[in-house]
Amino acid sequence: MKLQMVGCSHHNAPLEIRERLAFNTEQAAAALARWRAEFPRTEAVLLSTCNRVEVYTATESDKEGPTHHEVAEFLAECHGLELVSVFDDLFEQSGEGMVRHLFTVAASLDSMVVGEPQILAQVKQAYQLAQQHQSAGPLTHEMFQAALRVAKRVAHETAINERRVSIPSVAVGDFARVIFERFDDKRVLVIGAGEMAEETLRYLHDAGARHITVINRSHERALSIAGQYGGRAAAWEDLDRLLVAADLVVSTTGAPEPIVTLPRYRRIEADRFQRPIFILDLAVPRDFDPAIADCLGVYLYSVDDLATACERNRHERERELPKALRIVEEETQRFLAELHHRATGPIIQRLRQGWQSLRDQELRRLFNRLPELDEPSRAEIEQSFDRYVNKLLHPPLESLRDESRHGAPHGLLEALKRLFHLKD
Amino acid sequence: MLSGISVFCFAASYAVALALEATRLWFRSGVRGALMLGFASAGLLAHTLFLVYRATTASGAPLSSAYDWYLLAAWVLVAIYLYLVYYHPQAAIGIFVLPLVLAMVGFAQLSDREPFPQDPAAQVWGTLHGIFLLFGYVAVVIGFIAGVMYLLQARRLKRKQLPPARLRLPSLEWLDGVNGRAIVLSAIFVAAGFVSGIILNAVNHRQQIDYVPWNDPIVWRLGGTMAWLVVAALFSQLYRPANHGRKVAYLTVASFVFLAFTAILRPFVASEHSARPDQAAQTPRAGEARKLGDEESRTSTSTVWSPSLPVSQSPSLLVLPASEVAA
Repeated sequence: MKLQMVGCSHHNAPLEIRERLAFNTEQAAAALARWRAEFPRTEAVLLSTCNRVEVYTATESDKEGPTHHEVAEFLAECHGLELVSVFDDLFEQSGEGMVRHLFTVAASLDSMVVGEPQILAQVKQAYQLAQQHQSAGPLTHEMFQAALRVAKRVAHETAINERRVSIPSVAVGDFARVIFERFDDKRVLVIGAGEMAEETLRYLHDAGARHITVINRSHERALSIAGQYGGRAAAWEDLDRLLVAADLVVSTTGAPEPIVTLPRYRRIEADRFQRPIFILDLAVPRDFDPAIADCLGVYLYSVDDLATACERNRHERERELPKALRIVEEETQRFLAELHHRATGPIIQRLRQGWQSLRDQELRRLFNRLPELDEPSRAEIEQSFDRYVNKLLHPPLESLRDESRHGAPHGLLEALKRLFHLKD
Repeated sequence: MLSGISVFCFAASYAVALALEATRLWFRSGVRGALMLGFASAGLLAHTLFLVYRATTASGAPLSSAYDWYLLAAWVLVAIYLYLVYYHPQAAIGIFVLPLVLAMVGFAQLSDREPFPQDPAAQVWGTLHGIFLLFGYVAVVIGFIAGVMYLLQARRLKRKQLPPARLRLPSLEWLDGVNGRAIVLSAIFVAAGFVSGIILNAVNHRQQIDYVPWNDPIVWRLGGTMAWLVVAALFSQLYRPANHGRKVAYLTVASFVFLAFTAILRPFVASEHSARPDQAAQTPRAGEARKLGDEESRTSTSTVWSPSLPVSQSPSLLVLPASEVAA
């Protein structure tokens, strides 16, 4: 059996190389069709994301399958590139290393942002695409199913995926969700129309926020962002009125001074009747006077507050990393043992068939010599023979299973073949 | 078979569920949620069977004695806990609810198990009195739990601390909603319990049996509790800044503290509420009012207990049926 991965990732290849080797869905589909034509006896799955381009290949025989050079050539040719321009940026993993690498990637332990959840879906999609184009087979099926199981186990048994590490995701996922049970009935006010506001708005929209109002000094820009999320744009002069109605405020203006001072908020506060308000002040310098955080019902967070939370989350993820890697290692060994044991299947089957045939011959001879035996006695004798054969088979099968834990049991299989005259 | 179920069975199940909840603070586990639910559900099942057994064998249970009243209140609380766990499986609600459940079971163990005598004519009002107060007090407990969780969660958020992964709580909005509903429901149920208690007493007074003097400390205590809860509910509903947030949470916590305070004081305050003939005989006012002769009819039916009864009775004060006294 030959398992191999050739590709590049953010660890070893610069962005320019990854960009040149990246595949979109159509390109990947075409590449897999081409693979089938060029290497019909080798299973392949092509994983292409922003941070990696990797081809996973598998063949039943050690002697078959493309070499590292051939896979690299294939990747280069798919993009019309000279092999020399990308060869040095491609790395290879094979056998146990390849399985470990796939599990690590699927569990998001090899990602640029460790624990980011998108990679699992990308691995799944890559496998599905290979299935659709019939470049996947039984080996890759088992490998990718195992990889998805490992990813789920890591997610379940560690907190590596739970801790968010980007400011907008922490703001919405870790803080807004702790304040609000739902977002579809909340009034979201976006002050300013910066990139950070837009990203935060995307998270809020995904969380269900529907009543979105954007105000910006440039009304056109406000209209553009509001339009993307089904919100509305309002005039800058309406700020106080909108603050009274808002449940959640995202502020990202470039104003040099706070736009909402404490006295200004005090005037608004009376009309809010201390209704809770969550303010994300993502502007630098800040748009809201920090003293407003002391007002009743106000939960005010600045970029620094959120950055501290992100840093803490990143640290938490790192603390979870050894535990996650232990799971990957454990699952890799288990998967390889099962794979190796699976390879012993045909020999075991032949051994069993041979002994079974001997049992049948002996039973026939015995029953011919003892015709007076009734049915219950015959059944009892047959069962005894069955037990005898099973007991004889048990030690070699156990030895094969034990040996499989340490690699493919080639020596033992060869010995069994010679000892019991098992022919291929 | 039912007679084999003891308080220990379900109390132990709840204790194990609580211990499992507490382990959230130290480590993650994939099976803990299922185990916790399993133990709490098994406890609730045993608890239900125990109450059914009491209802079929003890006269007037499950509301006729302090013992049964506390056990039923604990049962309602566990049922609410399981409902909440279903909707908030990630939140550590059990850490807050289960200690109070165990405290109620503990209170039950310290309480009098003898059913209280009563005239059958007042049975309906007695039942209503007990049920309303039970729901009212459970609402106060739920409000207290939600209030404490709200204050903890709000404190964390004000300090800009991330919610700890191992002690998750429901959102402020959800807790706020529970607080608001708990304070209103507790006021309504306790008021209904108070009014039904007054009617019960009036019926007994007319028939000159087992009535409580209007100046009895228990009447004043329950009246005070009701007044507090009604004022708190009105304040939270009519004063808009108290509609939301910490003010409602403080009100629900204060309601529980008020209730707990009066419950702790109860054994130290002499009262004729649900007193039995031998106790009643100690006070001339009640002694005049009660018909002491008909012991047998008193022990054949029982009244509904409400939490204004003494928590524990000394053995010398317990009333035994006439037949047992004779024996």
